[in-house]
Amino acid sequence: MSLIELRSISKTYKSAGLDVEVLKDVSLRIEEGEYVSIIGPSGAGKSTLMTIMGCLGLPTQGIYFLDGEEVGQVSDRELSRIRNEKIGFVFQAFHLLPGVKAIDNVMMPLLYSDKVPKDAKQRAETVLEKVGLGHRMGHTPGQLSGGEQQRVTIARSLINNPKILLADEPTGNLDSKNGVEIMKTFDQLNREGTTIILITHDQEVALHAQRILTIKDGQIESDQWNENFQKSQASPSGSGVE
Amino acid sequence: MRIFRNLRQALRGVASNKANTFLMTLGIIVGIGSLTVIVAIGEGTKAKVLDRISNLGFGPDSFSVHAGAGRLFFARSGATTSLSLQDVDDIRALPTVRLVIPRQRKSTRIIFKKEFTNTRVYGVTPEWQIARDWNIADGVFFNDQHMERKRRVIVLGATPAKKLFIGTDPIGKMVRVGDVFFQVIGLLEEKGLTESGYDPDDRTLIPLTTSISRLTHQTYLHSAKVMALSPALVKKTMEDVSLILRENHNLSPLADDDFRYVTPEGIMQWVTESAQALNRMLLLISTVSLLVGGIVIMNILLVSIRERVREIGIRRCFGARRSDITQQFLFESVFVALLGGILGTAIGLTISIIFQRFDLLPTKITWEPFALAFAFSTFIGLVFGIQPARKAAMLSPEESLR
Repeated sequence: MSLIELRSISKTYKSAGLDVEVLKDVSLRIEEGEYVSIIGPSGAGKSTLMTIMGCLGLPTQGIYFLDGEEVGQVSDRELSRIRNEKIGFVFQAFHLLPGVKAIDNVMMPLLYSDKVPKDAKQRAETVLEKVGLGHRMGHTPGQLSGGEQQRVTIARSLINNPKILLADEPTGNLDSKNGVEIMKTFDQLNREGTTIILITHDQEVALHAQRILTIKDGQIESDQWNENFQKSQASPSGSGVE
Repeated sequence: MRIFRNLRQALRGVASNKANTFLMTLGIIVGIGSLTVIVAIGEGTKAKVLDRISNLGFGPDSFSVHAGAGRLFFARSGATTSLSLQDVDDIRALPTVRLVIPRQRKSTRIIFKKEFTNTRVYGVTPEWQIARDWNIADGVFFNDQHMERKRRVIVLGATPAKKLFIGTDPIGKMVRVGDVFFQVIGLLEEKGLTESGYDPDDRTLIPLTTSISRLTHQTYLHSAKVMALSPALVKKTMEDVSLILRENHNLSPLADDDFRYVTPEGIMQWVTESAQALNRMLLLISTVSLLVGGIVIMNILLVSIRERVREIGIRRCFGARRSDITQQFLFESVFVALLGGILGTAIGLTISIIFQRFDLLPTKITWEPFALAFAFSTFIGLVFGIQPARKAAMLSPEESLR
C-alpha cells in the first residue's frame, strides 16, 4: 500500500457566497521514501493540496488514505494524533512559537504525544545538532537568523520521527545561501529514508526532488521523474538556488 | 499527564504576555481587594460591638424588658407606666427564671457640700450586684434590710464619686439627691470608658423601695433585668414574659406590645446596621468590579486569541487537540484571575491594617478573605474564560496558519 493515496480529491472554499473550487478531482500516490516536489503558480492549489495531505483540513470530496488509514472518516482527535505521529511540517514563515527557546520549540510536538518520552530533551538536542544548531538551543526565534529559524522548524518536524515531511516553500523567506543550506538538509534527510513532499513555485528548488508534480488550476498537469536526480545527489554543492 | 503539560503551557503564556496579564488582573485586584476590606471591617465591627455589649453587663443568659413600646433603648413615648411590680413578681414566678432585678431610673443632680454632678440614679434590689457581677471597691452594697426599711443609703459609681469627693473619703458622708439626704455606704469598682465613649461608671444605686417612696414617688418601673436559668432558655423565657405582660396589661391580640426587650443580639443588630450600609456599598463596588474584571479578562483573551491564532494553529499542526487548546486558555484565564485574587487580597489586607493602625475603621483580619478570594477568582476565571477558550479551540488549523 502506498504511503499516500489520494482518490479524486476535490476541495471547495466558500468565499463571499461564491464557491471556489481549488482542487478538482486530484488522484495521486506517493510511496515511502520518495522525494516529491509539487510545483505550480500561486493560486494553483499547491497549499490546499498540502493541507489535505497534512491532515489540516478535510477534502470536500474524495478519499484520502495515509499510511493505510482513511482520513476523513476519523474524529478531530484522531486527526490530531495522525498529525502528531506521522507528519512533520516545515513552513515558509517558520511558524515558531515567539519568545520560546529553540529547544522548547523543538520539543513542543512531544507535549501532544500520548506520552512524553523520557529522553525528550536528549532527542531535541540530537535533532538540533543534526540540523547544525547544537550551539543555539537556548536562543529564542527573535535571536536567530532566518536560516537558523528554518533549521529549528526542521528539527521540530523531525522530533517525532514522522513518516512524511511536508515543506511549504521552505526557502521562500531565505536568501540564496541559506536556501542552499536548507535544501542540502532536505536532500540528506531523504537519503536517510524520510519521505519528503516539497511545495514550491521555484523550478530550481523543485529540481532537488526525484519526482516533480506540476499543478495548474487545481489539477495535476504533469507528473515526471527528474532525470537529474542522481546527479544532484552526487554533487551536494549542486546548482542550488539562485 | 496531558493536562499538566497544558497547565505549564498556560503558565508560560501568562508569564510571557505581561502587559495583557496586568490589564486582566486589574479588575480582579480591585474586586477582591475591596471584598477583603469589607470582610475585615465587618469582622472588626462585630468585635467592637461584642466589646460594647459585654460592657453593658449582659451575659448570654440575660435580657432586659423595658417599659413602653419602641426599640432597644429608645422608647416611643416619654413617661411610661406599663411595667409594674406585679409584672416583676409574675416574671419571677416563671420556672425558667433565675433572677429578676426591677429597676427605676432617674437622671438627677447629686450634691455634696458645694460640689454637684448630674448622674443616673437607679433604684434596684440587692441582687443587682450579683446579676451585674460588679465588685465593690470600698464599703458595702445595700442588703435586704436596707430594702425592707427603705433606708436612705446610696452606692456611688466611680465617676460621681470622683466629682463630688475631692480628697475626702466618701464612705459615711451624706449626699443630697433632690431634697433627700442619702448616706454613702459603698463605691463601685471603676470600669472605665468603653470604646464607644459610654461611661458605665456614671451611675448611682439606691434601694428600689427607697426610690419608690423618696425619689420617684410612684411604683412603675423603668425596666427589669431577667436572668434565665441557662442561655438556652432565654428565648422561651422571653416568650413567656411577653404572654404575662400582655395579659397583665390587658392587651388585645391586635395591639402592639407596650414593652420592649433589650438583648445582646438586639444591640448587636442595631450597631451593625449602620456598618451594614457601608458594607453594602463596598459589596456593590466589589461585585461590580469583579464582574468588570471578568469581562475584561474575557475580552482581552478574545483579542489575544486573534493575536495568537498563529500560535494555536502551530500547536494544532503538531498534534494539539481541541481539548488541549481549551485547557490551555482556560488555565490561562484561571491563572490570571487567581493572580488578581492574590494581589487583591494583599492590597486589601494592607488597607485593612492601615485602617486599624490609624484608627479609621475597626478591622479584624480573619482567614475568610483568603478562601473567598480563591473561590471567587477561580470562579471568575472559569466563567469568563470558557468562551474564549472554546473559540480558540474551534479554529481550524488550516485557517489559522493562513
